[in-house]
Amino acid sequence: MLKKNINERGGQFFQTVVSAVFGVVIALCGCFSDDLRADDVLYVTKIKPLLTKYCYDCHSGDDPEGKLSLEKYSSAAVALKDQATWKKIHAHLKSRKMPPKDETRPTEPEYKQILDWIDASLFNIDCQGDRDPGHVTLRRLNKVEYNNTVRDLVGIDFRPGDDFPNDDVGYGFDNIGDVLTTSPLLMEKYMAAAEKIVQRAIVANPLGPTTRYQAEKFKATSGRRPFLKMQILFGNAEMQQQHDFKEDGEYIIAVRVFGQQAGKDLPRMSIRVDGKELAALDVSATGDQPRVLRIRRKIKRGKRKLGIAFINDFYQEGTKDRKQQDRNLMVEYFEVVGPLNPKSKELPEAHQKIVFASPLTTGETSEQCARRVLRPFAVRAFRRNVHPRELDRLISLVKLAEDQGDSFERGIQLAIKTILVSPRFLFRVERDQFPRDSRRPHKITEFELATRLSYFLWSTMPDDELLRLAREGALRKNLAKQVERMLADSRSDSLVSNFAGQWLEIRKLESVAPDAKQFPEFDDALREAMQKETELFFAAVLRENRSVLDFLNGKYTFLNERLARHYGIQLAKSKETDGNKFRRVSLTGTNRGGVLTQGSILTLTSNPTRTSPVKRGKWILEQVLGTPPPPPPPNVDPLAEDKKAVESASLRQRMEIHRKNAVCASCHEQMDAIGFAFENFDAIGRFRTMDGKFAVEANGQLPSGEKFKNAQEFSAILSKSKHELFVKCLTEKLLTYATGRGIEYYDKCTVDEIFERMKKNDYRFVTLIHEVVKSDPFQKRRARGPAP
Amino acid sequence: MSSDQRISRRTVLRGVGTALSLPLLDAMIPTPSLAAGAKPPAKPPVRMAFVFFPIGAYMPDWTPEKLGPDYALTPTLTELASIKKETLVLSGLAHDNARAKGDGAGDHARCSAAFLTGAHPRKTSGKDIHLGVSVDQLAAQKIGARTRFPSIELGCDPNRNVGNCDSGYSCAYSSNIAWRSPTTPVPKEVKPRAAFDRLFGSGNKDEIDKGTAKRDLYDQSILDLVSEDARRLQRRLGRTDKRKLEEYFSSVREIERRIAGAESVDIAGIQGTRPPGGIPRDFQEHARLMCDVLTLAFQTDMSRIGTFMLARAGNNRSYPQIGVRSGHHSQSHHRNETNKVADIQKIDRYHLAQFVYLVEKFKSVREGDGTLLDNSMLLYGSGIADGNRHSHHDLPTLLAGRGGGKIDTGRHVRYQRNTPLANLFLNMLDLAGASADSIGDSTGRLKQLTV
Repeated sequence: MLKKNINERGGQFFQTVVSAVFGVVIALCGCFSDDLRADDVLYVTKIKPLLTKYCYDCHSGDDPEGKLSLEKYSSAAVALKDQATWKKIHAHLKSRKMPPKDETRPTEPEYKQILDWIDASLFNIDCQGDRDPGHVTLRRLNKVEYNNTVRDLVGIDFRPGDDFPNDDVGYGFDNIGDVLTTSPLLMEKYMAAAEKIVQRAIVANPLGPTTRYQAEKFKATSGRRPFLKMQILFGNAEMQQQHDFKEDGEYIIAVRVFGQQAGKDLPRMSIRVDGKELAALDVSATGDQPRVLRIRRKIKRGKRKLGIAFINDFYQEGTKDRKQQDRNLMVEYFEVVGPLNPKSKELPEAHQKIVFASPLTTGETSEQCARRVLRPFAVRAFRRNVHPRELDRLISLVKLAEDQGDSFERGIQLAIKTILVSPRFLFRVERDQFPRDSRRPHKITEFELATRLSYFLWSTMPDDELLRLAREGALRKNLAKQVERMLADSRSDSLVSNFAGQWLEIRKLESVAPDAKQFPEFDDALREAMQKETELFFAAVLRENRSVLDFLNGKYTFLNERLARHYGIQLAKSKETDGNKFRRVSLTGTNRGGVLTQGSILTLTSNPTRTSPVKRGKWILEQVLGTPPPPPPPNVDPLAEDKKAVESASLRQRMEIHRKNAVCASCHEQMDAIGFAFENFDAIGRFRTMDGKFAVEANGQLPSGEKFKNAQEFSAILSKSKHELFVKCLTEKLLTYATGRGIEYYDKCTVDEIFERMKKNDYRFVTLIHEVVKSDPFQKRRARGPAP
Repeated sequence: MSSDQRISRRTVLRGVGTALSLPLLDAMIPTPSLAAGAKPPAKPPVRMAFVFFPIGAYMPDWTPEKLGPDYALTPTLTELASIKKETLVLSGLAHDNARAKGDGAGDHARCSAAFLTGAHPRKTSGKDIHLGVSVDQLAAQKIGARTRFPSIELGCDPNRNVGNCDSGYSCAYSSNIAWRSPTTPVPKEVKPRAAFDRLFGSGNKDEIDKGTAKRDLYDQSILDLVSEDARRLQRRLGRTDKRKLEEYFSSVREIERRIAGAESVDIAGIQGTRPPGGIPRDFQEHARLMCDVLTLAFQTDMSRIGTFMLARAGNNRSYPQIGVRSGHHSQSHHRNETNKVADIQKIDRYHLAQFVYLVEKFKSVREGDGTLLDNSMLLYGSGIADGNRHSHHDLPTLLAGRGGGKIDTGRHVRYQRNTPLANLFLNMLDLAGASADSIGDSTGRLKQLTV
């Protein structure tokens, strides 16, 4: 009976399993085979023949070059199993390293075809499913972020980070987690900067110079002796201390005491200077809560004897209640504060804001005050809620300072210094929810989001509103509104100095050095004007929420008199008398438009003595179109530039001859054509029609066929038919800057999607920012490891 | 002489006045070492510094023909005239790991990356930076604890803060030559005054004296606290993030060590040598101020190991002051054209002149029976030999100083082609008392170096 049952059930179970497995197998085959079929067709009909033609000579047979045989990849399916090898193949083809240059090489379209196939099949990106947000490595605040954060946290803007070593750059930006390292030199500078900051922000002795005398240090004598960390005065006795009152003035004398109570009176303490009683105070405090008693008196300058005395000793033997037996005075310390600062000497604003409570003024214990003062500061510094235990650790430093005879405020200085060198301040900590499972992306917390947001848009810490929303868990819900608010705030100027400064590379202007003999008119005023023009232009596109295509051919710009003269543009008459002031200028009817014809870009892509069409072309391919040319192969003869050569033909003609070398031609054709479009602008961005004795020819043709006569027409082509490349390039740059990591193949979906949304919104800049903020790479993270 | 009779550095410096090159008194040798209770060595310590110049040199004007002590100075090496006897010209050394090895372009980034590591940099713009530990840092890790600063890093060019540095290599590779670990470069100080202040403080004696002990106690407590904090944090982070915090940890530890062994330094004596603020516009002035700081650091035994980057790899600075109006890098692809070669040769000599200045400076500091130079090893070199063709063999390499009397200087030595430059590093580590089994692609020690 029993056995039969089992058998029956077993049979059933087996059947279920079989059908389930079978079903899955069918399902898998179903979805796989479709993909594979498409892949295979392409692979077998297009890709494999190319590989056979160009690669098999070396990479086939029993002893293939580099032990790589391509023969074995009979189908796409087989190839797909070997991702690592194909990644290498991809890299070698992309850099045009293979096939070697002395062998027959694929044409450019053929190269592209193979690369596209590898891209599509191997890095098989499915934009439907869950998106991989990528892994962002722990980011240290860079120099700029540090300066800004200190400014907003402490309320003093003095750029303590300027002495730090420059941060290294990765992917074109200096806020990349993987590249930001920490060294003893930097740590030293963090310590020194933190000390400077607290010294500036907080006055260690806000009332006046403070000297503290620890009572336990007085040697025992009749009627008193050190006891634990105090002095116990068990008879009518006095502690005497010579003190130098530096000036005539007001002083506070404060004594931390308690009494051992007995008899009908409270213990009475006398405070004396040179034997003269200044005050006699009743001490009601008891051992469980000592108190600070203080008096404020005018005292004449000079070295004087300060005395703290117990004056109503009481002792009664044989009392039943032992507590009523003995009255004593216990003193922890006494201190002289003064001469007191005159009222007119206001404390710095930062001090008032940060140290809003102090035991000398509120009467609380220093621990209570410290907790009140440090909690809000730590929350803002760490950009999240703070655990009570973390606070305890910080408060321990206040205690340490007081034990050392320093003031409460000095203690706060130490605690804040600690915060400023803490890893939780210096690093933007984000937690992996699944540290062991890199395949599980998750949303970052609201606090983490607030931090990403503020460092993206402001290059500084989140403000109180962001932190409040994060605490309430309401930031994601109000994201769009917050982005708008943040963009309206002047802190978003950091997008100009940091993002634009690096994307357009105008930071480089600081160090460009056009040859002084050839360009005597290039000076610092012009250099700064050029930089300013591009910054103002970028800011206008951002602030006026204009189309990003304005970067390519916006017919307006911002000039001061110097730059207008440099450009040969007549400024309209205006009431403006300050020639240094920048004014918005229409460029309609001129030969300029967009950033590409601005002096800044034209200069920083030139050589010291002449223009460099190659550099200009390369710059546009990299920064504008996002299609960087492969690096040049080594051992190529460069352009002849001796006097004879220069006088023999124009730069363009000489470069055309030079380009006859087939290896160079493939890339230079495009790069140079683009660069030459700007030949009407010399190495410091002036318009010209002649280069030396040769007429400038700025006309050209792109590999895709479009023809242009000059920079204007070229820019028009860019914004008309290359705008997708440009918008995607800008998106990738902004995404890199926002997330602090390089763009990976899996970001393609995000970038494509942002492009579609941009398209629907006239490519407005603010749309781009909203979309980056909403995107998965910005909103989520995952642990380091294999992609999902 | 018993150790308590030694005059402290402090006393001496006060007496030094403003002159840089006054003798270190014998009684002061060895200067106080940090390792408590460590037995002072009987001889002055051996110091080592590495000076990097970018883009190699025009080798036909560099390499002498004859070997041995009687070689004739070549057009570029005429700069060595005053220090020929104290210098070794080493030919034939190579950095195989600066070669592409399948990574394509980027020889300049690899030039600086491989220079002191002998390692091949992983090609990346940011993610997974990986190289090797540099020879100076290897030495610093072994013997650096004997001085206040295990090593010092100096340079003339700030790290680039914009753009890409070289063909897909992160700027970390072209801006740094010192690497603490395969993933962590050591940044350099480029401001002369900051470099000086780091070693000697800003010079306010009152401030220094007042409450140093208390400040150290506070700093110690702060560092304890943040270390603990970092440890708590580290437990909750992933692998790469942990590595970032590890950098933080080791930096904190390094400063703790310094505080623990600190002795107050009074710079009254050398205050007059405090360099001006800012970065001088003139390259030579800048380079020489940095050389002065390096000399002072060794002279006062603040450190025994240093690196100095004259310029960033792939440097494209122009030098109108010596008549070179085009950028260094553009001219380096000279294709043997006379005018470009002439420019390169000018730059080669100009850079070399700065090194010669450093060597002469070392020579002018008396120490024991000899000079600071006798107890030092100053290497001058690049990770590229011929800038025109980006070759990495036959590197231009000079070694000045007798390394504590052991090095037989004043000769031209040629090694078998492609001998790793890293082999020389092993010899240098031996002489500095920091022997290692290997570094980078080293295959053994060089012969014909020592007496």
